[in-house]
Amino acid sequence: MKSPIYCAPVADNRTQLSPYKGRLFAKMLLIMRLTTIFLLATALQISAKGLSQKVSVSGKKLPLEKVFSSIEEQSGYSFVYKYNDLADTKPVDLHMKNADIRDVLDVCLKDQHLSYTIEKNIIAIRAIREEMVTPTAAPVTEQPAAVVTGLVKNEQGEPLAGVTVLVKGANRQAITNDKGEFSIQAEENQTLVFTYVGYAAKEVAVGKEHSLQVTMSIAQADLNTVVITALGIRRSEKSLTYATQQVSGDQLTNVKTDNLMNSLNGKVAGLTISPSASGVGGSAKVILRGSRSASGNNQPLYVIDGIPISNSSNANSQPSNTYGGTPDGGDGISNLNPEDIASISVLEGASAAALYGSQAQNGVILITTKRGKAGLMAINFTSSAFADQIAYKPKFQNSYGLTAAGKNDSWGPALSGGGHDNLKDFFQTGTNLTNAISLSGGTQNAQTYFSYANTTARGVEPKNKLERNNFTLRETAKFLNNKLTVDANVNYVTQTVNNSPALGIYSNPLTGLYLFPRGQDITPYKNNYVKDSTGFARQNWPYKGDALRQQNPWWVVNRDPNVATRNRILFNGSVKYEVNNWLSLQARGNVDHIADNYESDLYAGTDGVSNANGKGNMLINNQTTEQKYGDFIVTLNIPSHSNFKVNGLVGTSITDLKTTGLHLQGDLSTPDFFTAGNIIASQPGLSSVTTSPATGNVPGPSGSTVNNSPYPVHSQIQSVFANADLSYRDWIYLTLTGRNDWSSNLAFTPNESFFYPSAGLSVILSQMLHLPSWVSYGKVRGTYAQVGNTVPPYLTNVQNIQNAAGQLVFNTAAAFRTLKPEKTKSTEIGTDWRFFNSRLNVSFTWYKTNTLNQYFPIQPVTASLFSIAYVNAGNIQNAGIEFTLGYDVIKDKTFTWNTSVNGAMNRNKVLDVDSKDSINSFVLTSNYNNNYESHLTKGGQYGDIYGYALTRDAQGRIIFSGDGSTHAYTPTKNTVFTKIGNSNPKFQLGWRNDFTYKRFSLGLLVDGKFGGQVLSLTQAVMDQYGVSQVTADARKAGGVTVNGVDGTGKAVTTVDAQTWYSAIGGTTGASGQYIYSATVVRLREAALGYVLPVPQGFFKTVKVSLVGRNLFYFSRKAPFDPELTMSSGNGLSGVDVFNQPATRNMGLTLNATF
Amino acid sequence: MRTNFNSGVTILAALLLTGASSCTKNFESYNTDPTRLSPGQSISIIAQAYGPLQQAIYADYQTAQNLNADGYAGYMTSPTNFSSSLNDQTYTLIDGWSRSAFVDQYNQVMAPVAKIAATGIPTSHPDMWAVALLVQVEAMDRVTDRFGPIPYSKAGTSFTGIPYDSQQAVYNLFFSQIDTAVTNLKAYLGSNPADTVNLGTGDLVYQGHYDKWLKFANSLRLRLAMRIVKADPATAQAQAEKALNDPGGLLTTPADDAKFAQSGGRNNDVWLVTFSYGDCRMGAALTTYMNGYNDPRLPVYASPITGQRIIDSLGAGKYAGIRLGTFVNKSLYGGYSSPNTNSAFSQTASQYLMTAAEVWFLKAEAALRGWSGAGDVKTDYETGVNTSFQQWGVSGGNYLNDATSVETDYKDAFDSTNVYNTKAVSTITIKWDPAATDEVKLERIITQKWLAVFPDGQEAWADFRRTGYPKLFPVAVNTSGGLIDTKTQIRRLAYPQIEYQTNGTAIASAVQNLLGGPDNGGTRLWWDVNKANF
Repeated sequence: MKSPIYCAPVADNRTQLSPYKGRLFAKMLLIMRLTTIFLLATALQISAKGLSQKVSVSGKKLPLEKVFSSIEEQSGYSFVYKYNDLADTKPVDLHMKNADIRDVLDVCLKDQHLSYTIEKNIIAIRAIREEMVTPTAAPVTEQPAAVVTGLVKNEQGEPLAGVTVLVKGANRQAITNDKGEFSIQAEENQTLVFTYVGYAAKEVAVGKEHSLQVTMSIAQADLNTVVITALGIRRSEKSLTYATQQVSGDQLTNVKTDNLMNSLNGKVAGLTISPSASGVGGSAKVILRGSRSASGNNQPLYVIDGIPISNSSNANSQPSNTYGGTPDGGDGISNLNPEDIASISVLEGASAAALYGSQAQNGVILITTKRGKAGLMAINFTSSAFADQIAYKPKFQNSYGLTAAGKNDSWGPALSGGGHDNLKDFFQTGTNLTNAISLSGGTQNAQTYFSYANTTARGVEPKNKLERNNFTLRETAKFLNNKLTVDANVNYVTQTVNNSPALGIYSNPLTGLYLFPRGQDITPYKNNYVKDSTGFARQNWPYKGDALRQQNPWWVVNRDPNVATRNRILFNGSVKYEVNNWLSLQARGNVDHIADNYESDLYAGTDGVSNANGKGNMLINNQTTEQKYGDFIVTLNIPSHSNFKVNGLVGTSITDLKTTGLHLQGDLSTPDFFTAGNIIASQPGLSSVTTSPATGNVPGPSGSTVNNSPYPVHSQIQSVFANADLSYRDWIYLTLTGRNDWSSNLAFTPNESFFYPSAGLSVILSQMLHLPSWVSYGKVRGTYAQVGNTVPPYLTNVQNIQNAAGQLVFNTAAAFRTLKPEKTKSTEIGTDWRFFNSRLNVSFTWYKTNTLNQYFPIQPVTASLFSIAYVNAGNIQNAGIEFTLGYDVIKDKTFTWNTSVNGAMNRNKVLDVDSKDSINSFVLTSNYNNNYESHLTKGGQYGDIYGYALTRDAQGRIIFSGDGSTHAYTPTKNTVFTKIGNSNPKFQLGWRNDFTYKRFSLGLLVDGKFGGQVLSLTQAVMDQYGVSQVTADARKAGGVTVNGVDGTGKAVTTVDAQTWYSAIGGTTGASGQYIYSATVVRLREAALGYVLPVPQGFFKTVKVSLVGRNLFYFSRKAPFDPELTMSSGNGLSGVDVFNQPATRNMGLTLNATF
Repeated sequence: MRTNFNSGVTILAALLLTGASSCTKNFESYNTDPTRLSPGQSISIIAQAYGPLQQAIYADYQTAQNLNADGYAGYMTSPTNFSSSLNDQTYTLIDGWSRSAFVDQYNQVMAPVAKIAATGIPTSHPDMWAVALLVQVEAMDRVTDRFGPIPYSKAGTSFTGIPYDSQQAVYNLFFSQIDTAVTNLKAYLGSNPADTVNLGTGDLVYQGHYDKWLKFANSLRLRLAMRIVKADPATAQAQAEKALNDPGGLLTTPADDAKFAQSGGRNNDVWLVTFSYGDCRMGAALTTYMNGYNDPRLPVYASPITGQRIIDSLGAGKYAGIRLGTFVNKSLYGGYSSPNTNSAFSQTASQYLMTAAEVWFLKAEAALRGWSGAGDVKTDYETGVNTSFQQWGVSGGNYLNDATSVETDYKDAFDSTNVYNTKAVSTITIKWDPAATDEVKLERIITQKWLAVFPDGQEAWADFRRTGYPKLFPVAVNTSGGLIDTKTQIRRLAYPQIEYQTNGTAIASAVQNLLGGPDNGGTRLWWDVNKANF
C-alpha cells in the first residue's frame, strides 16, 4: 500500500494542517493506508487512488476549515495551508452538489486573498502576496551583495509561484513570482533555503554560478500521520506524548500463523510474545514492557475499533504446575481473521492507555479493522498454504539399549545396530490452509465491507486439528447531511480445536515417545495401542505407570481425545453526531458473546492418575463469556483562532463481564460410555473447593466425582473520564487525562471508587527551532501516568461452599475488606526524529513503571486458622529503553530497500513483596515435589526460576556422598530451593529488511532475544532415563568428569554416568544442572513476493509469495526453543516439560484483487 | 457562539452526572458468588459441615500419612521412586510432605471448627460443639504426634506469629477439651437420650448418635493417656482411669467403631493411592508377621503378589511387602502385594478413626499396668484379637492358641547383593503367656494391637515409638546423613519450611525451648522417653 501524503513544510513553523477534528472522517478512510513509520516499502499496491473529483458542500456561514475538511472527507484529497493565512478569512455560504473541487475552491477562495494548487492528492492553500506579482529586491543591507537569480520548479517541471527564498544566516528573503522566478542578494558560499507549503524544504549553496535552477519535491514525510489512540481517538502523531508503534495488516497476513499475535513477534519494540507450546489453536503470552502484576493479569487489553473485547480462554485456561495435564485453553485474540485487520497500534505504556482504565494497565493492543471505501469497489482474495515441521528434535543416543527386562530406562548394554527414528513415526507434517475473501465498496454515504475466511490447520502431533470460520460484515453510513455517522460491525467466529496436546508431565504423548528404550522400534505400538477389547488395563504399553505416568503416545492421541469448540459473536456499533463544528457526541457499544464447549474423554486403560476407577473419565466444560461495553463521549474542539488551541473530551463508560458455565468431571460407571449421565454421582454446578493454596503434594488427580463449575464471574466497571489536549502553535502539546472507575470487584470495601490521572508533554523541536533542513522532524516527549487495576471478583466477600456431597465446607480465606486497587505509576520520556526528508527515522523511549498495592494471596501463619489472606503490597519495577530505527537505504523507481531495527531492554526488579508482613517471597508456581518453582522475591525479578542446585563446598567443588567403592559416588543436591535462573530476556532486537525490485519483493525479519535462562526438565528426564546423547557420550568417556569432593575430603574426578544422571536428572533431581541460556536468534520471517503481470481489467493485482517462518536459528543454546511457553499465564515461565517442539513453517500465499 | 458553547457545556455536565451517579448499588450483589452459600444458608446446614471435618483427618493422606507414618509403622511402602528414592521412606524428609502433615489439619479441621465456634454453636448447641471438639482433638493429636510442640492454645489469635505450646501443654488441653465434650454430651443425653436430630446424617461417623460419641470421647482419652505413660505417668493413670470408669463406656464392639463413610465423590484413601495412583504396596514388616502367623486377616488386608519375577522368586499366590528404605522402581516393585482394593480398601470403604479392637488392647495394657477399671489383661488381649477378626469378618480358628508361629525372614525378589534381605527381628508368638515378663506381655499386646490397627500407621508409629513394639526391620537404606539413627529409627517429622517462613520467631523459640533437640527426624518427642517400659 502506498502511504498517503500529508505534508507541511518543515522549516515554516507557521504552516498548519487543517484542524484534525474536522479531518477525522477523511482520515478514517485513509487510516488503512497509514502504515508503520518504519516500513514504507512493500511492493503490493493494491489500493487504487480512490480520489474523487466531485464533491457536495452546503451550509451557511461555513468556516473555510470546515469546507476543506468536508472536501477531504469526500474526496480523499488532503489540504495543506498555513494556519495564519486562514485567520482573517470570512465564512462562506455554499450550496454545491456534485461539483468539481476546483469550482468549489474557486467559490470559497474568492475575495479571500488565497490561491490554491492541486498536485497529486494535495491541495495547497497559499496566501496571495504582493511580492508574487513583482519580484522585489530584498531589504537593503549595509553591504550590497551579488544578485542571485533563479527559477524554482516542481518535479514535473512546472514553475512554482510564492516559494520563499531565504539567505541562511542573513535577514533577507524573496518570493518567487508566478513564473517561478526570484532574485535575491547573496554572496558566494552563502546558502539559500527554499520553502513552500506542501514541499520539502531545500537548501542550495550559492556557487560561482549566480543563476540557479531549483527543483522542489512534494514532502514525502508522513509527518502528520494519524495514529489511533485510546478510545479510538485519532490524533496527529505529533501531539502524542508517549510511544506508540503501528503494524500494518499486511505485516500480519504476509506470513500466516494460526494465532495472529504470533505474527507480531519481533516487529514491535518492547513487546515480548511467547507462543504456547500447545499445537494449533494455542494461545500466546503477550507482555509489554515486562510483567508487573503478581496475581493479576499481565497481558494487554485488546481493543477493536476503539472498543475493548474479551481475550478469554475456555475453562481449561492455563496449566498451573509442571504436571499440567489439561491442554491450553486458547485465547480470544486468535479467533480473529487477520485479513480483516487494517492495522494494529501498540500502546505500550500505562500512559498511552490511561483513558481505558484498569483493564489497560499492561498496555493496549489497538486493532483497526477494514471497512468499505467510498467509490471503490474491490474484491480481495487471499489463499495460503503452509507446511509445518518440528524445527528440532531432542538429541537422543543410539548406542545403549534397555537396561534390563522389566525396566523402562536405557542404561543397558551397547547396541549393535543403529537406532530407529521413533519420533519420525509420531510427528507429522502440520498444515495451515487459509482462504479469505473480502468484498468492499460503497457510495459517499454508505460503505460496506464483508469478509469470510476459513482456516484449516493440523498440528505436528497426530489428531491435533483446527478449523475456523470467520464472517464479518461492516456497514458505515452517514445521514443528516453527513452530521450523523453510523458504523456497525458484526463478526461471527466458529472454531473447533481437536486434541490440543496436554502440556507437562501428565497425559502427554511425548513422555512415552521420548523415553521409549533406545534401539527399539516403536512402530509395533503405533497401530496396536490397544491390547484387547475388554478390561481396564488394555493400553498396550510396557512402560506405563512410572512416576512420569508415561503412556503409549498413540493411545494418548487416539484414546484420550479432546475437542474444544467456540462460537463467538462480536457486535460493535457506533453512532456519532456532529452537533456543530466544535461539538460532537458519540455513543458506542459492543457485545462480545463467547460460547465454549470442551469435552475430554479418557478411555478405560488410560493411566490411573486421571482415571481413578479404571473405567474411563469424562470432562465436560461449557462456558459462556459475555462482555458488554458501552460508552458515551462528548468531543469538544474549542473554536479558537489564536495560537492556543484546546481540544478535549469527556465521557462515561460501562464494562460488564459475565462468565457462567457448567463443569462436569468424573469417572465413568460403564466403561467408555461418554455421556454426562454416566459420570458417577455427578452433581453439576457446584463450586470447586479452593480454600488453601498448594500444599506441595502431588497435584490432585481426579477423584471419581469432582464437580465444579467454572468460577462464575460478574464484574462491572463504571467510569467517567476526561481528556484535554492543549497546544500552542503546533509546537507544544500538553495532554491531561483523568479517569475515575467504580469496580464491583471492590464492593464491600471503601475503595470501590478510584481515580487516576496522567499528564504528557510533547514539543516539536523541528517546528519550534530552525533546524538544518536535513532534519525533517524532531520531537521530545514525556509523560507521567497512573493506572489503577481492580482485583478479581469475590475476594472481598468470603462465602462458604457446598461440595459435591451437599456438605458444608467452610471457606477459610480471610475476607479482605480493606483491599485496594493495584496502582501502576509510569514515567516515560522519549524522542522521535526523522532526517533526510524522512528517509531515516529514529525513535527512542525510556520508561519506568512501578506497580504498587498489588494484591497478594499470602499464607498467613498456619495456626492463624486462615488458609489464605490477601494483602495490598509489593512494588514491582520495570525500567527500560526501546528504540526503533528505520532507513530507506535505496529508494528509486525500480529498486527500494528499507531496513528497520527495533530493540528493547527491560529490567524487572521486585523492590518489595510484602515487607510489612515480613513476606519477601511470593510463589508464582509451586513445585508439587518437582524441581521447578517460580518466585517473586524481593531483590529478584519477576518469574525467577527456583530449583535444586548441587551442594558445593567453599571451593565450588560438588560434594559427593558414597565412598566410590561399595557405595558409588553420588552427587548431593541442596534440600531447599535456590534461585537458578530467570527467563526474562535482557535485550530484544528485531531487524527487518524489505526489498522491492520491479515486480519482486523480499522481506526478511531476523529477531533475537538475548540473555535470560531457561530450564529443561525434558532434558533432565531424558538424562535420567539414559536416552539422551549426553548420557551415551558420558558412558563412552567412562563416566562424567566432575570437580567434586567426597565426605572425607578426597577429590572426586569421575563419576559413573548412570549414577550421575540418575541423581541430577529427572523431575526431582538437580535442576540447577539443566539451566540453559535463553539467547536465541532466528530468521523469523522471509517472504519473497512477485506481482504477476496480469492484464488490467478483471484483475487489479495478483501477487504470489513464497514465505517461511521460524526458518532457522542463528543461535540457540537451550535444547528447546526458549521462546515457547508452557503457560501463557503468570507462572511456569522458562521451563520446558515435554513441550511440543517449535515448528518451522513454509508456504505459498496468493493474493488477488478484482 | 458563546451562549451556544455554554449550553453545550451544561448538557454535557448533565449527561456526565447521570453517568457518574449511576448504579453502583448492585455492586455487592455482583460481587457475591451465586454458587456459594450465604451466612444464613451456612448456618441452616451447619450439621453438613461435620462430614468434611471428619474426612479431613485424612486430608492429603498420601503425603501427610501414607508416605511417612504408614511406612514407619511397617504397614505400607511405596513402589514409586519419588525423588529418586531420596524421600521420607529412606529418611530424606521431603518438605512438601511434611507441609501436608502439618498444615492440613489446621486448615481443614481447626479452621472450620473455629468457624463453627464463630456461629455461636458452643453455647447454642453444646452437643454439636462437643463433637467438633472431639474431631479436633483426634486430628490435632495426629499433628503433635508427628512434630512435637505445635501452636495450639493460641491458634487463631493472630495473622503473623503464634507461639508454640509444649507437647505436654497440648495434651493437657486435649484432656480438658475432652472433658468439655463429655460434659456437654452427657447433658444433652440426659434430657434427649435417643435424639439424633441435631447432627443426623451430617455426621458421617455416628449419624448423630451421641451415646457413641461419648464412648469415643472416653476411648480417645484412654488412647491419649496411654501415649504419655512414660512422660507423665501420674496424669496418664488418672486420665486413663477416668476413661475406664466413665459410665458412658468405651468402644466395645465393631458396631461402636469410629469410622467415616465416604460421601459424594470421595474415595477411600488407601484405595486411591493403591489403585489409582499405584503408589502403595504392603510393607515387609506387616507381611512377614502375618505370613508367620498365618493371619486370616492377610487376604483381607492385602492382595497376592503379581509381578512375574516376584512370583518366580517367592511363589504364586504369596503375600509379600516391600522393605522400607528399598531403592524401589515401580516397574519392578509394583508387583508386590498391595492393600486389597477389593475388600478392606474398596473404593467406597469407610475409614477408621478408632476401633473397638484398639480400645481392648489399650485396656489390656492398662490392666498390665494395674490401672483400675481395666479388667483382666488376658481377656482384654484376646477380646482385642477377636474384635479385630470380627471387624474384618474373618474367623480366627486356632489363632489365639498358636504359641509357636513367629515372624518370617524377609526376602527381596530383586536383591542380588543381599542389602534388602533380612532375618526376622521378632520372636514374639500369639498365645497369651501369663508367665511371661511384663515386657514380653507388652510386646505381645502391642504386636497384636499393631495387626489390628492396620491401616492406621499414624497410631501404630506412635505405639512403636512409645514402646518399641512391634519390632520392625530397620530402614534398608538410610539417606538422612546421620541425622536419624537407623537402629532407633525415625522419631518425628521435621517442621515444614512454611513455619519458618511465616512463623519464624515462634518456631525458633519452640525448637530451642520446647522441642528438646534439633528439628530433624532423630529428635524424640516429649512422650517418647528413652527408658524402659516398666
